[in-house]
Amino acid sequence: MTFPWPVAWALRAFAGLVLVILYGPLAVAVVLSFFDQTGTSVDWSSFGLQWYAKLFANRGIGEALVNTFIVGAGTVVTSVVLGTVFALYFQYGGSPWRGLHRAIIVTPFLLPPIVTGLSLLIFFREVGVPRSLLTVVIGHTLLVLALVYRTILQRLQSLSPQLIEASYDLGATRAYTFRRVLLPHLASAAVAAGVLAFALSFDETLITLLVTGSDNTLPLRLWAMVRTGFTPDMNALITLILAATAALSVAVISLVRPQP
Amino acid sequence: MQTVKHRWKDRLQRVLITTLVWTPPIGLIVLPLAGFLAYSFFALDNGEIVHRFTFGNYIRFFSDAVFVPQFLRTCLLAAGVGVITLLAAYPVALLLWSLEGRAKHLMLVLFVIPLLMSYILKIFSIRAILGGRGYLNTLLMAAGVITEPTPFLLFNLTAVFLTLSIILFPFTLLPLFVTLERIPKALIQASSDLGGAGWLTFRRVVLPLSWPGGVIGASFTFVLALGDFVTPQMVGGPTGLTFGRIVYSQFGLAYNWPFGSALAVILMAAVLAVLALAARIGRSQGGPP
Repeated sequence: MTFPWPVAWALRAFAGLVLVILYGPLAVAVVLSFFDQTGTSVDWSSFGLQWYAKLFANRGIGEALVNTFIVGAGTVVTSVVLGTVFALYFQYGGSPWRGLHRAIIVTPFLLPPIVTGLSLLIFFREVGVPRSLLTVVIGHTLLVLALVYRTILQRLQSLSPQLIEASYDLGATRAYTFRRVLLPHLASAAVAAGVLAFALSFDETLITLLVTGSDNTLPLRLWAMVRTGFTPDMNALITLILAATAALSVAVISLVRPQP
Repeated sequence: MQTVKHRWKDRLQRVLITTLVWTPPIGLIVLPLAGFLAYSFFALDNGEIVHRFTFGNYIRFFSDAVFVPQFLRTCLLAAGVGVITLLAAYPVALLLWSLEGRAKHLMLVLFVIPLLMSYILKIFSIRAILGGRGYLNTLLMAAGVITEPTPFLLFNLTAVFLTLSIILFPFTLLPLFVTLERIPKALIQASSDLGGAGWLTFRRVVLPLSWPGGVIGASFTFVLALGDFVTPQMVGGPTGLTFGRIVYSQFGLAYNWPFGSALAVILMAAVLAVLALAARIGRSQGGPP
């Protein structure tokens, strides 16, 4: 639909304003990451990468980053495998209970993260599972599973049943059909879902706060740093993470975008 | 003989698959939620959790003068965040929808980046802007709007409201945008072929078909705003207490897990009621499933 030009320009102006509000705080941080400042007065002559250098010498950020990658990888593998198995069960399992099964899987995504986190916290305590990165992976997996499952199920439902029948007719076994017909069809959906799962896991804060042990992921490390007060190398960190996020967003959108 | 053996193997396989497929959701979703519900009926005795059924926690919630008003205030705050993001998201979604090709892709990326950007760092950068010596104050003073820094911008509920609105905006925008994208082009064409002027087409075709998506997006935002405890803690200060913070504190300093669970159950009930309502609106109006 095309809008008459005054409306189109009004919409553009408004969207621009929203972008300024969304990005303004981040832009300020990016600019300031290259300068020294005292209070709100900025020393504009101090342009340089000094805060980046300081950041890399910093307090547990590297360790937290490694933990975050471990958790992210664990979450991607677990959620994609479970998501695929559950989607296959829904589509081909022929169970009258499959609707209930799906509803249960989607639940943690719909609940506020604090409820999912608390129920796991209580559960781990009652069962006697010590909190660690493993419990964080479980929490993250439950959160992203709904999205991964949906993405893969949608792809599965777009597969014509005739293709599978044809494969059987040609004498292929179930395992062979799965490997040569189903898996290739699901591959790109699984990759897209995996990237999305990683992106969500990378920044998950609320559930992680509740189910982690003594190990910090990056968001928790940041949360601890922010609470102890401001240091200018935070601006450098904001800049780096913004750049990484922008790259990741482009990847996610290109993958998730429905093919024309 | 062969077939009997075959059937037996088939049945074994079926049992194995069923067990495999049902164990994770039941073990890690249903049981923890059930345990959490059960905890809300337990009590605390000398810092020890007593596994004995009682309504005490719920009675405390409804009889204490603090909790109910606090809960309602937080609901109102979250609803406000939902409404304001919806009002802001609608024009943006319309613009995204009307764009084509590369421009559309680029704008979509721009609006999605903040969604994936570190949550803590986003709050942190907003806090730096809002602070008493922050840039918004400096800017307002330079523009002559105020003569001295206003403390109203940080460490209160207004700051929580502003910060949550900025952070959760994409959650309202995306479902709305997806719903707009699903409107068949032929419908718009038909409306204008029948002489529906632009405004008429918008009011009679686009608006009715897209607002359920907006309601669903805003209700996601409501849910996230209601349960958040990190944002209020970072920008709320002592007066910006929200229900999520109270729940969280029961698992930290206050150390009363059963009471915290009861509070979270009440939070969950509110969330489920809102989601059910949104889903109903979405279904009756043909929004996203």
